[in-house]
Amino acid sequence: MPTSAAEPLLEVRGLTAGYGKIGVLEGIDFRIDAGEIVALLGPNGAGKSTLLKAISGLLPRSGTIRFAGQDISRASPGDTVRAGLVHVVEGHRVFTQLNVIDNLMLAGYGLPRDRLSVQVEEALSFFPEIAEKRNDRAVTLSGGQQQMLAVAQGLVRRPRLLMLDEPSAGLSPVLVDRVLAAAARLRESGTAVLLVEQLIEKALKLADRVYALARGSIVLEARADEADLPNRLERAYFG
Amino acid sequence: MSDAASPAQPARASALARIEGALPWIALGLVGLLLPLLGDSYIGVIAQRAYIYWILSAGLNLVVGYAGQIAIGWVAMLTIGAYTTAALTAGTATAPWHPYLALAAGGVVGALAGVVVGLPALRLRTFYFAMTTLGFATIVTQVALAWKDVTGGGVGTPGPVFPWPFEPGWGFYYFCFLLAAIATWMTANLAASRFGRALVAIRDAEVAAEASGIAKPKLLIAVFLFAGALGGVAGGLFASLQSYITPDAFTFEMSVLFFIAILIGGRGSILGPALGTIILTALPEFAAPLVQWSTFLYATLLLVIVLVIPGGIADLLDYKNRRPLKQHREIAPRPELLSRVLDTSSDRNVLSLSNIALHFGGVKAIDGLDLEIRSGQVHGLIGPNGSGKTTTLNVISGYYAPRTGQAQLNGTALPFDAPHARAAHRIARTFQTPRMIGGASVLDNVMIGGTTQGRGTFVESLLLLPRRHSDEAHLRDAAMLALQTVGLESLASVRADRLQHSELRFMEIARALMLRPAFLLLDEPAAGLSAEEIRRLGALIVAISRAGVGVLLVEHHADLIFDICDRVTVLNLGKVLAAGTPDEIRSHREVVNAYLGG
Amino acid sequence: MFASIVSYGLAVGAVYALIGITYNVMFSASRVFSFTAGMLGMLGGVLGALFIGKMGMPVIVGFVLVLACGAVLGLITEILTVRPVLKSIEQHLYVLSTLAFALMIQQLTAIEWSTEPQPFPRLIPIGPGWLDQQFWLPMLACAATILGLELLYRKTLIGRAFLAIAEDSYAARALGLPETRLRLASYALAGVIGALAGFTGAEMLLAFIGNQAILNFYGFVPVALGGMGSNRGAVVGGLALGLFQQAANYFFGGIFAAVAVFVVFIVVLLLRPEGLAGAASARRV
Repeated sequence: MPTSAAEPLLEVRGLTAGYGKIGVLEGIDFRIDAGEIVALLGPNGAGKSTLLKAISGLLPRSGTIRFAGQDISRASPGDTVRAGLVHVVEGHRVFTQLNVIDNLMLAGYGLPRDRLSVQVEEALSFFPEIAEKRNDRAVTLSGGQQQMLAVAQGLVRRPRLLMLDEPSAGLSPVLVDRVLAAAARLRESGTAVLLVEQLIEKALKLADRVYALARGSIVLEARADEADLPNRLERAYFG
Repeated sequence: MSDAASPAQPARASALARIEGALPWIALGLVGLLLPLLGDSYIGVIAQRAYIYWILSAGLNLVVGYAGQIAIGWVAMLTIGAYTTAALTAGTATAPWHPYLALAAGGVVGALAGVVVGLPALRLRTFYFAMTTLGFATIVTQVALAWKDVTGGGVGTPGPVFPWPFEPGWGFYYFCFLLAAIATWMTANLAASRFGRALVAIRDAEVAAEASGIAKPKLLIAVFLFAGALGGVAGGLFASLQSYITPDAFTFEMSVLFFIAILIGGRGSILGPALGTIILTALPEFAAPLVQWSTFLYATLLLVIVLVIPGGIADLLDYKNRRPLKQHREIAPRPELLSRVLDTSSDRNVLSLSNIALHFGGVKAIDGLDLEIRSGQVHGLIGPNGSGKTTTLNVISGYYAPRTGQAQLNGTALPFDAPHARAAHRIARTFQTPRMIGGASVLDNVMIGGTTQGRGTFVESLLLLPRRHSDEAHLRDAAMLALQTVGLESLASVRADRLQHSELRFMEIARALMLRPAFLLLDEPAAGLSAEEIRRLGALIVAISRAGVGVLLVEHHADLIFDICDRVTVLNLGKVLAAGTPDEIRSHREVVNAYLGG
Repeated sequence: MFASIVSYGLAVGAVYALIGITYNVMFSASRVFSFTAGMLGMLGGVLGALFIGKMGMPVIVGFVLVLACGAVLGLITEILTVRPVLKSIEQHLYVLSTLAFALMIQQLTAIEWSTEPQPFPRLIPIGPGWLDQQFWLPMLACAATILGLELLYRKTLIGRAFLAIAEDSYAARALGLPETRLRLASYALAGVIGALAGFTGAEMLLAFIGNQAILNFYGFVPVALGGMGSNRGAVVGGLALGLFQQAANYFFGGIFAAVAVFVVFIVVLLLRPEGLAGAASARRV
């Protein structure tokens, strides 16, 4: 089904999710348009990671999620990935016993062989630093390189929306810039990015729009270049 | 207990409940006593076998149903008890013993074997333990086959014959009946004591049990001794009932029967497994075509139970807990009661961490941390995810041993890697995810917190000696008071797994208060609470600290932290980023960036 | 005598090793140790004797059919006893569900086949002596399995997907790997390996339902000692166990052999719960 111009790429309505008895998210509404970078900010424990997991199907959830014209409210992680929505989970969880290439090949599991190798090379081209180590096992990579590999894994399927969960966690400032630069390059190629980020200034510099999440609800929505945003964010967090 | 909710009514209700609980036992006892009047010796033999199996299962029930240790090879105790009694009576290894003495020896050897099999449970994961018990059963049978001089090998050996008053026939019947009754009585006494609750706590909430000061090894060894002894005695009786025993008589299928009887009956019940044992023993006898298929059916039953009703039949029959609870419940803490819950002596205590460093693999979880918690203060600990807050709490409560650094209480070093030893220093805690015994009442859950305050021993509990009674009464009163303090007394008799998440948070605080703590460590107590509940929680925490307790509060809710804390420490990447009063922290730019930023 | 101890010991050891690998393949895909490993070994022998000995099928047809049965049982194990309890793995219900299923199959075998040990037909007429097929067949099967698994894990994407799920199933799920189908495939593979162990070891161990408990235990010993999930550890541990058992049996008798294995097993596990080759993992609260 073709997407009409008016329809957002991702539209979430009334999303509720949590862990067993513990409700974390309550009635979340938001949207992402094609090709934009959206930063998702909020204090710890607000439910940012939970929101990403609920969207990608890693957690049970209720509410409606539409992506590229499809209803993915009940989709499994495999389904959402194949629909073009890829979630890079926090903590650079790459497969340490496999080499870089194999890690990337697995990210495109199920794609035809020839297409897979082309797209793996394409993903690697974003990160020359790990392209050099393509045959090394991931356990030998530094934390920053593992994070790059995790982001590269997210690129292999040429997603229409990439969700990055704290890609800067535990990285030195130089590496942070390099990982975030990849997000900017993705926007140029038309891929939308949903970015959960600790480093508020860097996130604001990169993003087109911002949502703030506190106590399980969206408390603020703004364009990233609006004035006085840091102070408004702080007030929003404290309720 | 002057202003406690009127004590008369609950007392009558509990007396009624006690009579109601005793009825099935009285009925079973009458049937057992009067059965010989039928004069049917075939039924008599079946009943004797059921009694013998139950003597073993009663002990195994404590291991499996209460402590949750999957001991699948417990038939080995029966084998060992049977051969010990038979060989000693026959005099194949020593001079012949008197049969009753030999039976007692069977019990002793069974107890020792119980500990040998049980020891691995102290360190091994579930499947490993299951496998060691299975391996033990296999090896006992192989030894019985190979040790021909004593056991007769594959040919077998005659079982003991007990002289008057329990000679073969109805005399022996009453012997088995009597011992089964005693076994039931003892296990019931233990199950309803602080030891029984502690066993269930080890099963369902091991870390909470440790934090409450329950020493798992000591308790489990006592239970394995007792269960092994019962298994050994059952074995001696079994040898006599069989009149001739070979290794073939002790099949692994018997283990399965014991095991399934317990699971059908339900974990944490005694009547259920007893009925299960009787039914599984008797069923094949009365449905002859089933004999061949009996083990297959038992196994099928086991699979169905595990997949459909893991709690066993007892869960299905637990009609009391199906009554709907009031919908919009309110937690109304009564901080004014704290003066009776806590030790309000004016001791000033200081708990300090100095230069703590801890690594997981290559990741630095804590990197040179100093922290000081004082009596009467609320100390907030905040920081981004992964900054080491909960890890710090786990170091203080003894779960982790740091690579460097010290924890000191009033200048004396606290040992690490010994979480259950913290209770003696009156350091109590709650958990990020509430740890509870879902199937036990809220009151029982809170009583867990006071386990170490009982004075009666394990044996006193088994034999219902006076100190057990005073321990129980004291614990119940204290737990009720703690529940009133946090505002949950109306839910005292409700199963904990029916509580809302917020109520569980307060229940954990009540459990921690049972230690009369000098220090209370709270791990995200406000997570999942409504704004109003957070306000009440805050007031309760403040009251606890004003009563002289040092509180460490790990929390994400910045507003709560800034409202109630006297001092705040901010962690980032395992280091202290800032420390000071709430006002100082709020205006700290770096903190706003690191903590509030993302 | 020495040759017989070595050849018999290595052969039994190879069977233990294969059962150990069966445990490992299931464990890697699901973090579950399944009591069906010994059952598969027992059935490999019984079904082989049934198809080839009783029903007179050609050896190769019977062999393939046995492996196919193993695969099907592996699939049933996953669907019936593992998947339903995987969500609450910390409750360890899988210990009971797999035990129950293994017992059901064992009892069915006892009723439909026999409770007594039955001879297994000779497949290839070489021997007797240390060249006897009953000795080299299990060793050949063990070598072929190890080689096959290495090829699978190193050369194919699906093999790497197995490794990925074994290392971090959450990350694998997030990447969109078909976790359920891969787990099913692992259980089918484990079924084949377990049946292969039983089939090739059956002339020595006979077609006997009692082998289930024995293989369950002695197949698990090398896994526990060699570190769970490590196939190399399972092979080294299995062969060592076989040799030790035979030597002890010959020099000191059966009581000693049985007790010694058990004591070593318990003592090693108590001292190093993660196995001799495994790495200690930090405890999470």
